[in-house]
Formats: sequence, structure tokens, C-alpha cells
Amino acid sequence: MKIAWLLYKRLAEAFPHEFKLAFGDEMMQAGEDSIADLAKRHGIAGVARLIADLALHLPLEYLSEMRRDMKYAVRALAKSPGYALVGVASMGLGIGLTTNVHNQGWVLLTRTLSGVANPNQLVTAETPTSYPYIERYRDQKDLFTGVAAVQNGVEFNVGLPGQSGKPDRVYGQLVSPDYFSVLGMEPQHGRPLSADLDKTGNVPDVVISDRYWRSRFNSDPDIIGQTIRLNGQNATVVGVTPSKFDGALTVNPVELFVPTTVPATVAPELGNDALHNRGLKSFQFLMRLAPGVTIDSAESALDGITRRLDKDDPLAPPQFDKAKRLVLMGAGTRVQIPREIRPKLLGFYIALMAIVTAIACLNLATMALARGTNRRRELAIRLGVGASRFRLIRQMVTEGVLLSLLGGAAGFALAWALAAITAHTRLPAGSPLNPDLPIDWRTALFAFFLAIVSGIGFSVLPALHATKTDIAPALKQGADLQLFGHKRFGLRNVAMSAQVAGSLLLLLVTGFLVLGLVKNSSIQTNFNPKTMAFLFVDPVRDGYTPEKAQAFFERLPDRLRRDPAITSFALAAQPPYLPGDDDNFHLTVDDPHQSSPVQKDFSQRTVGAGFFSVLNQPLVAGREFDERDQRLDRNPTGLPGAAATRLPLVLNQKAARALFGGVRSVVASMDPNLTLFNVQTLSEYLELIRASMSSALRTFGGIGLFGLILSAVGLAGVTAYAVAQRSKEIGIRMALGARKSQVLALVLREGATLVAVGTVIGFLSSVALAKALSAITTAFADAFSLGIGDPRLLIGAPLLLAGLALLACYIPAQRAMAIDPLKALRME
Amino acid sequence: MTETRAHSFLPLKSQWFHIMLSLAGGEQHGYGIMQDVLDRTTGKVRLWPATLYGSIKRLIEADLIEESSKRPAPAEDDARRRYYRLTSLGKLVLDAECERLQELVQAIKSTRAMVTEQG
Repeated sequence: MKIAWLLYKRLAEAFPHEFKLAFGDEMMQAGEDSIADLAKRHGIAGVARLIADLALHLPLEYLSEMRRDMKYAVRALAKSPGYALVGVASMGLGIGLTTNVHNQGWVLLTRTLSGVANPNQLVTAETPTSYPYIERYRDQKDLFTGVAAVQNGVEFNVGLPGQSGKPDRVYGQLVSPDYFSVLGMEPQHGRPLSADLDKTGNVPDVVISDRYWRSRFNSDPDIIGQTIRLNGQNATVVGVTPSKFDGALTVNPVELFVPTTVPATVAPELGNDALHNRGLKSFQFLMRLAPGVTIDSAESALDGITRRLDKDDPLAPPQFDKAKRLVLMGAGTRVQIPREIRPKLLGFYIALMAIVTAIACLNLATMALARGTNRRRELAIRLGVGASRFRLIRQMVTEGVLLSLLGGAAGFALAWALAAITAHTRLPAGSPLNPDLPIDWRTALFAFFLAIVSGIGFSVLPALHATKTDIAPALKQGADLQLFGHKRFGLRNVAMSAQVAGSLLLLLVTGFLVLGLVKNSSIQTNFNPKTMAFLFVDPVRDGYTPEKAQAFFERLPDRLRRDPAITSFALAAQPPYLPGDDDNFHLTVDDPHQSSPVQKDFSQRTVGAGFFSVLNQPLVAGREFDERDQRLDRNPTGLPGAAATRLPLVLNQKAARALFGGVRSVVASMDPNLTLFNVQTLSEYLELIRASMSSALRTFGGIGLFGLILSAVGLAGVTAYAVAQRSKEIGIRMALGARKSQVLALVLREGATLVAVGTVIGFLSSVALAKALSAITTAFADAFSLGIGDPRLLIGAPLLLAGLALLACYIPAQRAMAIDPLKALRME
Repeated sequence: MTETRAHSFLPLKSQWFHIMLSLAGGEQHGYGIMQDVLDRTTGKVRLWPATLYGSIKRLIEADLIEESSKRPAPAEDDARRRYYRLTSLGKLVLDAECERLQELVQAIKSTRAMVTEQG
């Protein structure tokens, strides 16, 4: 009984203050009076009912209080539409951009592969290896439940039997037959590749992607068992992957999954005995860790095996370093990020989101502080008639939450618009998947929670500040309470300086990134990019033998030379300027700065005769390759490497676009069955690269701009408020003979001090942050090293911000000069 | 005008009806209302404290009852207690609800009579 009464009392005390004020005592007494009677009549059940009644009504009463607070907040905001509008706009920008960063960055990096069972168990190595090595890893049955080999970016010419016309050129993966069982994936139609059926010699089985099935085969329900032509050979479609699965271990869309058991005529990549060649490190592996095996223990076990394998290999270059031979990373996500970098990269996104949100909150906090001071008299009156301080704070916080919820709705609309723009950006063929990141309920939920947290975040301190009031003087003097308000470290000044610092930090860091990205992708050519064209021809995938292809490439230059419109041309295995497809390898070289030889990364591109002269690129020393070098048995680079199987033509012609037809007819006259594809001028290609970066530029640029706008708005608001507050003082000064310029200086000085302090802090912290970020990943280091040295940004951004901030102070300062001393003194 | 406003409250929630009915006889305090309802319904309806005071709060907000300044003789008075009475709108609403219930009872009676005759 005693416990029940104690519980009743506790619950009754927990009711909202206003409720207790009106009914607290009575409710307490009613409980005391009835509890004994209830126990006597109904026993435990009656007492329990009494307690339950209180427990049920407690949240209801709070809800009804919240509804009242909300109504009050709507009225309060409606009364100051200017504040509401600026608040909603800045909160909307802040939440919108944060949501955008969350969607484009965070979600993209953390999204797991769809259709895959337990994606967290999947791992892969950071660098590719050779097929025989993977076979050895496969023996470690205690570490893994499955290991599959994968080769990425394998191109196929796909046609239908009996159909003339150009075959499709699509990207596929060469996969070991257990690929789908390691992924734990069931196709939506048909069956996965199977080790038993895919014996060499039969017509090979292939699995196609859902997207390819829809786009190329029109979602044909009879696709299973259909024969297609892969690089001129027959193959049978046995399965279609689940929708939204774009292949593991790659960000490029994969349309075909072809087993490694196919002959080299189907996949030239399997030539050179690729499945047994230890030197050909062109495969990645996909492993599923056995339950209880950590990625660290798997890594050290595999590292040991790799070390032994390297030692046994007479052809492997000697390695001197003690560094790991093999580093594992998670493979269950759409984008694979090395483990070392992952937390830092995610940390960067968290920091970016936090800074943007914090600046929006600071901006609103400074405005709310000013507003709170203006409302002192109102607050004091309400405190005087018995409102609790907690109630007032709750009301002000509710107002803030309402404001930021409205801002959240605006921000969600902004994020939606940004995503829609990104979705419409056309990406170059074969480039990373256009991140299919639609704005959905999860995004809305994120924006909603962000709004609530921000709303509480920015309004609690100002509310505490505003209600910390001595009632009597506040009633007497109202807003003019503290005329000597030059507290150097006042909450408002600190908030203001922090805002300037944060804005500059954002502006500079995003500026570094934007400049770095632009510089990284801008390509300097010694000629007009419109006059260069790329054409790709790949006779091996059109069914040629390597010898026949070699003969074709020997005859081609003569035929092209006869076309007067072509000023120069060259053959190359990879097109110049374009990313990807480089063969990367290590060489051990002597470094004069190091005591022992070091490993260095090189990238190799196989190029033909006249390559550098087409690019108008003089060599530093030596001679250009010519046709004497252009035989596959005399490998021009002198380095181990695969024979060039895909040779694009690089043409430099006066008007590239108009003359594609000429080249087409030259190739057609040599063999009408050969396919020319990806016919583009260099400038067209550069345009596409630029387009693919526009999303990142828009996000980062938008964030930088956002900081700029917000800090200007915040400064203008705070200065305007300070002027209004000091109008009496200014009036007295003017009445005593102060000149207008002196008044202007007085007002500007305060703003300028805040701006200066904020600028210095912001500048130093952004340089420090950029340095710290460059240390984290090479991706940032490249961008930052290019951006950080740019004087335009280093000097321009602080000047721009400071200038804008001073302008924001100047406008209200001018209003101060217009104060009529008589009117100001007559106030009150 | 007031008529329509009064009708907008109908049908009354049962707790509201019981509280207002208790106040029809005159001013009463919260605990008194609770006892009154218990007596009137021979213990079948008990207004639990939080339900009771929550309803009183909402009835005041809806302008159906108000706090009364009239207090009983000092000997019987408990300073902690507040007394409530019906507002003029509250009286209208209570009348309208009683009328509605009477019509309902009438309808039940006549339907029953028909059923009995047929049976």
C-alpha cells in the first residue's frame, strides 16, 4: 500500500507544471482519500487501476501542453514574419544541403549490395591478384565459406543469332562459376552459373543483369535458354540477376556474368593461359568469411600464404619491404573503401554535415538571442503572473522546433530538387553507376530528425538566456535592460564569431575541393580538342584471331593515310587523357634519397606509331615510336604485358565530326563485319567528364555559398538588432554633437571585430582541416594540394566573406546614422 | 448561434456528462464530483483522479464549466479545494444532451414495445 501511494505521488508530481498548479493538490488529496477505500473494496486490482489511470493520462497531458505550445508558436511566428522567413530559409538551406550530403555521400558509401545475403561477411583484397593465387586461397576452408574469382571491366560484343546489324558493346565480369553461390544470390529468373554444367567445351552459360534484360531483351519472359552471340561465339542465357544488382566489386554497371570456363575466343582476357599464369594479376577475389572469423585474422592468414607464394615464384620481382602483401577490405557495399580510409572518409562526411547544421543553428541562435532580449518585458510579465521558467523555455524551444520543422520541409524540397538534377545528369558510357539514390522516406526521416535536433539545438541556449531575468528591472525597462551590453565574451558575440569562422571554414574547405576537382579534370592539350576524335575497333571481339587482327592493324594505316581530311592518326591500346584501363605495375627502382631500393607504382599504356605527334606532345628525350616498333612480337614498351587486343584509333583532323563517315567507310571497305564504337570527339568526351563531376561540384559549391549567405544574413540581423537596441544611446551621442561618421564607425567597429576574430579562427582551422584531410586519403590530398596553393581562394575567400560581412553591418549602420536624436530620446 | 454551438458538443463524452450532471445541482469540488458520480451510479462509474481532473481542465478550456468564487461556510471549507459550476453555455449543452438522451430512451422504448407486440 505504501509503495502504491509513493508511486501515485511520483506520477502526480510528474504532471506538467500548469496542470499541477491548477489540480496538483486536489489530485494528491483525491488519491490519498480514495486509495484506502479502493484497496478495501477492490483489492490490488483497484489500486492498480488508480495508478494506471495516472500513468495513462501523464503523456496525454504533455501532448495537450505541446499542442498549446505549438499553437502559441504559430501565433508568435506569424507576428514576426521577417524572422520566420529568414529562419525558415536558412534552416531550409542548412537541412537541404545536409540531407543532400547525407544522400549523395554517406548513403552512397555505406549502401550494401542489394540481393546479397549477409553482405557484411564479404571481403576482397585492395589490389588484384592472379588466378592461381586465388585457387590457393580457396583451400583455406576454415577461414572462408566461399571464394570466387572476378575480373572486372571485360567488354563483350553481344549480338543475336540470325540478326544482322551492329552488336552491342557491353561491360561484363568474368567470374568463377561459384560467384553467385558466394554472394548467396538467387537469380530472379533461371539459375545461377554452376560449376558442374560449365565444363569447357560446351556452349557456355551466361547470366545477364536485370537492367540488360529489360533494356536489350525487352523483359522477354522466354529469355532463359535463349542463345546469344558473345564476341561472335554462341552462349546460352541461363539466368537473370535480381533487380538493382549491378555486380559485386565494382562501381561500374555490369551487364553480363560470364564464367571463367569459357574459351579465350569468347573472352580474349583468358588468353595467355590467364587461369594458370601467376604473373597476370588481373583477378579480384570475393570471399565470404566463415562465422566467427574476423577480417584481421583472415588478412594475416592470407598475407602469410601470399608471402610463401611470392617466394616460390621465380618470376615475381624481389620485394624488400616488410609491408603487407595483401590488405583486405569489405566487399559487401556498392562502393568498396579500404578499411584504413573508411572511418576517416565517413568522418569527413559527418564533420561536413555537422558543420553545415551547426552554422545554420548558430545563425538562428544569434537571431533567437536578439529576439529573446527584445521579448524580455513580455517574458518578465509572464514569469510575474506565475508561468514557470521551464514553461517559457519549453515554449521558446517549441517555437524553434516549429521554425526548423518548416525549414526541414523546405530543406527536403531542396534535397529533392538537387537529387532530381543529379538523376538527369547523363554520365559517360562505362563510367561509375549513376548513383541510384532516390529521395525516399528514409531521407525524409533524416531531414525530420535533423530538423527536430537543430530546432532544439539552436533554441535552448537563447531560451535559457532570455528567461534568466530579474523580473523587476525587466518590467521597468523592457528590452533596453542592459545598455552597457558590451560584454566581450557575451553569448551573442561568441555565437557570431563562431558563425563567421564556421562559414569561412566551409567556404575554404569546399573551395579547395571544388578547385582541386576542376583542376584535376581539366586537361591541357596542345591543340583544339574539337579536332581530335576517338574511334574504337576491336577485331578480336568481332571474331578475329590475334594474327588476323595484327594483319588488320598493319594494313589500316596505309588505308587511312589515303584520306586527305585526316592530318594525323595513331593506334593505341588505351585512348589518351581518358581515365581507367591503365595497366598498373610495380617496379623496384633505386632512389637516391633512400638507402635501399623502393617500390614505385607505374602505369603503362600501350601506344602505337606516331602517338605523341598526334597529341602534339614533344618528348623530353629520345625518339617517337614508329612503325618498326609496331609489331606485337616487339613489344614497344619492353615491359611484360598483355598483347593489345583493343586498339582505338586516334585521329587528328580538321573537322573530326564531319569525317567519321570517311573512317567508317575505310574500315568497312576492309571488313564490313567490323564494329566501330564509341565514336566521339575529344571535346565531347571532356564534356561528359565534366558532367559526371557536376553533382559533386554542385554539392560542395552549394555548401560554400550557403555558409557565405548565412553568415551575411546573421551578421546583418545581429547588427540591425544592436543598432535598434542602442538607438537611444546613439540619439544622445548625436544630440551631444557626434558626427555621422563617428556613429558609423561606432556601429561598424563592433561588427568588424567579430568578423576579424571569426575570419582568423576560420582561416587557421580550415588550413589545419585541409592538411588533416590530405593526410587521410590520396583522393583528398590530390584535390587539396591543387586547391590549397591557389591564392584566389586563400586570399579571396576571407576577403569576400569579410567584405560581405561588413556590408551586412553597413546597411543597419546607415540606419543608425538616420536616427533622429529627438525621436530617439522621446521613446518611452 | 449558441444553439448550434451547444449542439457541436453532442454527443457528450460520458465523463463530461457525469461531471456536468453533478454540477447541475450547484457548485462542487473535484472530489465531491467523484463521490457524487459514485453514489448516483451506485458505484458503477468511478471517475479516476487523472481522468477527472483532465476532464475538468478540458471542460474549462471548452468554456462549459468555470471555477466558482463562491465558497462554502468557512467551517466546511478546505482552502486547497477549487469549486466549479456550469457556465451558461454549459447549461445549454447539458440540456441539449439530456434531451438527446431522452429521445434516445423514447426510441428504445417504442422499438421494444413493437418487438414485444410482434413476439
